[in-house]
Amino acid sequence: MDILPQIILNSLIAGSLYALAAMSFNLIYGVSRSFNLAHGVFATVAAYAVLFLAFHTAIPLPLTITLGILMAVLLGYLLERSIFRPLRLRKASNLVLLIASLGASIVVEALIAIFFSSQFQTLSSLLPPFGTLHILGGTLTDLQAFIIICSVVVLGVFWLVLSYTRFGKAVRAVSDDEEVAKIVGINTNAIIGIVFMIGAGVMGLAGILAGFDTGLEPHMGFILLLGAAIAAVVGGVGNVYGAFLGAFILGFAENFGVFFVSGEWKYAIAFGVLILFLLFRPQGILGKK
Amino acid sequence: MTYALQTKNLSKVFGGVHAVDHLSISIPKGKITGIIGPNGSGKTTLTNVLTGFHSIDSGALVVGGEKEYERIHSYDVRNLGMTRTFQNVRVFEQMSVLDNILVVLTERGLFASLFDSHTTFHKNTAQEVLTRVGLWEKRNENAVNLSYGQRKLLEIARALAVNADVVFFDEPYAGLFPEMVKLVSGIMQELRETGKTVVLIEHDMALIRELCDHVIVLEAGKLLAEGKPEEVLADSKVIEAYLGA
Amino acid sequence: MEYIFHLAILFSLFAIFAIALDLVAGYTGLISVCHAAFYGIGAYTTALLVQSVGLNFFFALLIGMLLTGIVALILGLVFSKFKGDYYVLGTLGFTYIAYTVFINWQSVTNGPLGVPGIPRPEIFGLSFSNSWSFLILSAIFVGVVYALARFVVSSSFGRVLRAIREDEEAIAIFGYRTSAFKLLIFIISAMSAALGGGLLASYLTYIDPGTFGITESIFVLSIVILGGLGSLRGPVVGALILVLLPEALRFVGFSPDIAAQMRVLIYGLLLVIMMRYRPQGLLGEYKL
Repeated sequence: MDILPQIILNSLIAGSLYALAAMSFNLIYGVSRSFNLAHGVFATVAAYAVLFLAFHTAIPLPLTITLGILMAVLLGYLLERSIFRPLRLRKASNLVLLIASLGASIVVEALIAIFFSSQFQTLSSLLPPFGTLHILGGTLTDLQAFIIICSVVVLGVFWLVLSYTRFGKAVRAVSDDEEVAKIVGINTNAIIGIVFMIGAGVMGLAGILAGFDTGLEPHMGFILLLGAAIAAVVGGVGNVYGAFLGAFILGFAENFGVFFVSGEWKYAIAFGVLILFLLFRPQGILGKK
Repeated sequence: MTYALQTKNLSKVFGGVHAVDHLSISIPKGKITGIIGPNGSGKTTLTNVLTGFHSIDSGALVVGGEKEYERIHSYDVRNLGMTRTFQNVRVFEQMSVLDNILVVLTERGLFASLFDSHTTFHKNTAQEVLTRVGLWEKRNENAVNLSYGQRKLLEIARALAVNADVVFFDEPYAGLFPEMVKLVSGIMQELRETGKTVVLIEHDMALIRELCDHVIVLEAGKLLAEGKPEEVLADSKVIEAYLGA
Repeated sequence: MEYIFHLAILFSLFAIFAIALDLVAGYTGLISVCHAAFYGIGAYTTALLVQSVGLNFFFALLIGMLLTGIVALILGLVFSKFKGDYYVLGTLGFTYIAYTVFINWQSVTNGPLGVPGIPRPEIFGLSFSNSWSFLILSAIFVGVVYALARFVVSSSFGRVLRAIREDEEAIAIFGYRTSAFKLLIFIISAMSAALGGGLLASYLTYIDPGTFGITESIFVLSIVILGGLGSLRGPVVGALILVLLPEALRFVGFSPDIAAQMRVLIYGLLLVIMMRYRPQGLLGEYKL
């Protein structure tokens, strides 16, 4: 079956993008304890920022990418300060945060559609044509290989920071128990704010990569977010490593699944996986009961 | 002596720790039994297991000396003749005081409740229990607007409304003003007079001494001592458990 | 004048959807974002039965409702274990699954091309093909749904639902099988939504999968949250405001595409503002 290597490669590529989205999503969930459905907008905003800057200004590409990520970070800061922090401080229930994040997501997406139109656009003209690599009988572009490498690098960075830095330890403390972390003297609000920005930045990176790989449209971030949420549930909510695992499981499930049914049933498979896990193992693979 | 409830080797494990450890106790019928013990001794866990909030890991509950149950669902609790109040008051906040009572008087079948027009009997019962706790005048207020003490009283009224044979009071006195304390004690004594069984989980030893016919002491999920209040409270093991805790 | 009828009909349809959602979200505390899928199933079933099989609209509507009820039964059983945010996530997932089915089951639903040429309702020789008569029909249906909802929420059953919303575990020990209650209201709600869906299909005379996606679910959620969860007037008022508001935008002179996005922008903004400043909505009884 010589199509197998290709499916594996496609799964890895899909999994990597989901991994970036899911790790950042879970990082934020870990400290804020609520699903941020607006997480997708960080990807969308970063990608469109690159689109805008690259085509309308003379700023060199590497800088536009950096600026794109910074825009995502800025948006993360704004959303956290203006919406999520006040709600959290007044002890609003998770449902309230969820709905507010849904609303924020819609607003940002609508704004992007208004300014950039809902048309599908691409960034690929900004780079020289991708070379293709032949690995184990399948093909992938250098960009796609880069995406895979990115996801592993980000995992590594998260692991190093979470395990070995003071900041990382503070983040883990807040994830475990915010009240206790406060008592121990950690400025939990500041930590949550910073984590939000980091998560937004990583998601921005994912958006830019997706923009280069497949293109942009206003809902692209939301779709990545859904993948992230599914990966989070599958791998273990709040757990960055679980997110990485769940993302690849999702990538594989989708790509092997569409081998058996046609491509458009992708969503159904993804959500089917979600519902199965919610039913039988809601804490995910690496989650605690 | 007949027993309203007995546990046979009941165990509940959380993360490797026995919150309730092969416990066999007997709650005498028609009396006020106190369950005491230092924090973490398993009093509330036991209550939660007996009222279906946690599953039984091993052992059984015996009701009325006859039927044994190894699994209790929340919705079985009423049929087993039990009801309870909660340590962290759980009333229905965004419903009126009156609704809080009427709702537990509703027909329990799905379709029966759809067509249940609260009869005079229900309204009278609601008025009776609310008057008993002094909340009848506030019957149209949303529970969220009541003071802490009033919410505790509402919970008690709710438990009274279902006329259960066994009523568990989980730390009902915490945060109550003295008049309310007297009211609650009065209610427990009335229940006993009408042949109901009361299980009181409390920390206040004076109240235990005053009210209880029988006291059970738990420590680390096991039975430490039991007997009359004066005996138990003078028992050196018990004193040590509290001081050492 | 035609335009006013059009607005009034849209308002009625969304009032039906909003009341249906409120039964589950406002009274029982189950925030569902899959209701668009229910009116989609109702819409497609009714549309296909009337258009391809030639069945009378009212029968088709009934069958659409029954079918949706069955789907809701299965779904309700699956979702009964989910709590809080997970419930929302699960319903979100189902919306996408339903959308995928609408768009891909081409042999039945005609996929992205949609179902055109859906006839207006007819009964006993009376045809509801013009706007005026259709408005009367929808008004009657709104009345029916409102009356049904009122019956349910003022009954003892409704009281139990509210207790479930407040504290499911606490009401359970008083002997109520909460999962059964939740399932029944979910089915009632889904069937009401399907009713609206069938009406919508017949009014628009053309439906496609895009009408029944996540955006529509969120739109109805916005209506209910704006109007107020846990009351019956809330959804109606919310529907009035959110149907009229986008129309006001048209007069400001935005291009149709931009106007559509502005409409979506407003719903999103409303959700955020409501959550931040007034979670019980304008007329609601339930504060999230």
